[in-house]
Amino acid sequence: MSILKMNFTGRRSLALTATAVAVALAATGCGGDSGSSAPTLPGNPGMGGDGVIAQSVYDAAPVATDADIPAGSTMEAIRKRGYLNIGGSLDAPLLGQQNPVSGTIEGFDADMAKLLAKYIIGKPEVKTTTIGTQTREAMLQAKSVDAVFQTYTITPQRATQIAFAGPYLTSGLAVGVRKDDTAIKSVKDLAGKTVIVGANTPAVTALPSAAPGSKQIAFGTDPQALQALLQKRGDAYVQDFTLLASGAKANPGMKVVGEPFTTEAYGIGLNREDTQFKEFVNNWLKKIQADGTWAKVWEGTLGSVVEGGAPTPPALGSADGS
Amino acid sequence: MDALTAHLSEFGHGLVTTVELTVVTTVGAMLLGIVVATLRIAPVPLLRAIGTAYVEVFQNLPLLALLVLFVFALPTIGITFPLFTSAAIVIAVYEGAYLAEAIRAGINTVGVGQAEAARAIGLTFGQSLRHVILPQGLRAVIQPIGNICIALLMNTSLAAAVGVVELTQAANNVNLVEAQPIAVFTGAGLAYMLLALIIGQVTGLLERRLAIVR
Repeated sequence: MSILKMNFTGRRSLALTATAVAVALAATGCGGDSGSSAPTLPGNPGMGGDGVIAQSVYDAAPVATDADIPAGSTMEAIRKRGYLNIGGSLDAPLLGQQNPVSGTIEGFDADMAKLLAKYIIGKPEVKTTTIGTQTREAMLQAKSVDAVFQTYTITPQRATQIAFAGPYLTSGLAVGVRKDDTAIKSVKDLAGKTVIVGANTPAVTALPSAAPGSKQIAFGTDPQALQALLQKRGDAYVQDFTLLASGAKANPGMKVVGEPFTTEAYGIGLNREDTQFKEFVNNWLKKIQADGTWAKVWEGTLGSVVEGGAPTPPALGSADGS
Repeated sequence: MDALTAHLSEFGHGLVTTVELTVVTTVGAMLLGIVVATLRIAPVPLLRAIGTAYVEVFQNLPLLALLVLFVFALPTIGITFPLFTSAAIVIAVYEGAYLAEAIRAGINTVGVGQAEAARAIGLTFGQSLRHVILPQGLRAVIQPIGNICIALLMNTSLAAAVGVVELTQAANNVNLVEAQPIAVFTGAGLAYMLLALIIGQVTGLLERRLAIVR
């Protein structure tokens, strides 16, 4: 009759535990990573239905001459290595998202990285290291990656740590709300409201001045933030316009209201000491903007959710810090 | 260093939230741990099975998966908790499984004769547990419980992923402005270390005061 007598090795309890774990795991599989029951990759029906740029764009892309790549330079080291080592994202729709079926990384940032690799090496060989937005400066300073393609907003503070080539893309923050919401028409209506933002995005710092008195809730990933908006954890979701547009396309329950209220200039993050490499990357950007490659990449990726054709590429060095 | 000193109020708020979350979840996890450990030694087979299932499920699932599941899956069936409450519940439930095992180990150090004597003088199962077994069992595992509390403190940083602005999220926000990851996260790390040292000191003190020298 001892209360301390223990017997827990029975086959019955093991089977019970296994069942419970299986049920819990199945539940995690459904809602764990994205929180949505049917993950939809945004795509463009007009571009072959998958938002991927055509092989011909890579084939036609420029390659640097030997004169552009002096001995002992970073470019030469990359060419000898045979691949470009970049820092980027695998979970940003239309910018850098790994296709779960093919394993390739698709989107504007990913394609730009491939085109830079093609320019240096002659073939679009890229090794992508997923880095958090917290560690980009440290990774570049330590030369763990050659370049960062990750919607890296050019700011004067960041420019004291690293160098920015570009800007190669401009965008802005916009406001997304639930479809049935008619009270919020622009960022001005957000004062005093609860606003969902992406953790470590420019929205965190832009909102206090754009919508005074608003309360922020930050989520780690874009799908989580979207789900939180639909589940009424906040009144609005402030995020980059293109991301919101793709979210609205995949989720009929939300809409984008008003025009973008900030201008974000995205640059290619590079090591600060290596001015030669920055000049080289800027020259490459000039070439692909002039020959129309840039516009083709934009149309194949971001253009699939944004109305109208490709915009004029931003002028190099136009952002404070580039 | 400027990156840290210029944002002391952000760090302060984050630190307070981390401490609140740690205290609330430690209390919750202790209560759950005692209940589950009791279930695991109960004389009724069904109760033992429930205790075992609880421990095996929550010890063997990643905390982040549980957090995301709780925050995003429950609203689809109409149950929505505030984010801080959600994080507190999930972390307490998760750490409760670990504490239950530590407490059960403590209970197993209490001699069988103690339980038999308690029953012999007419105490019920609950009474013998409350007055004889648990007081001795808990004293034997103060150090392991302290270690789990430190792990719990570190695990509160995962609440940042579901929108709770605790110390880690505050550091993220400061770093977004300052772009000084090494300084900012070293500062946050030192704050965590300080909290962990406090827990360690308290554990040591309790151990010296309460542990039974056999």
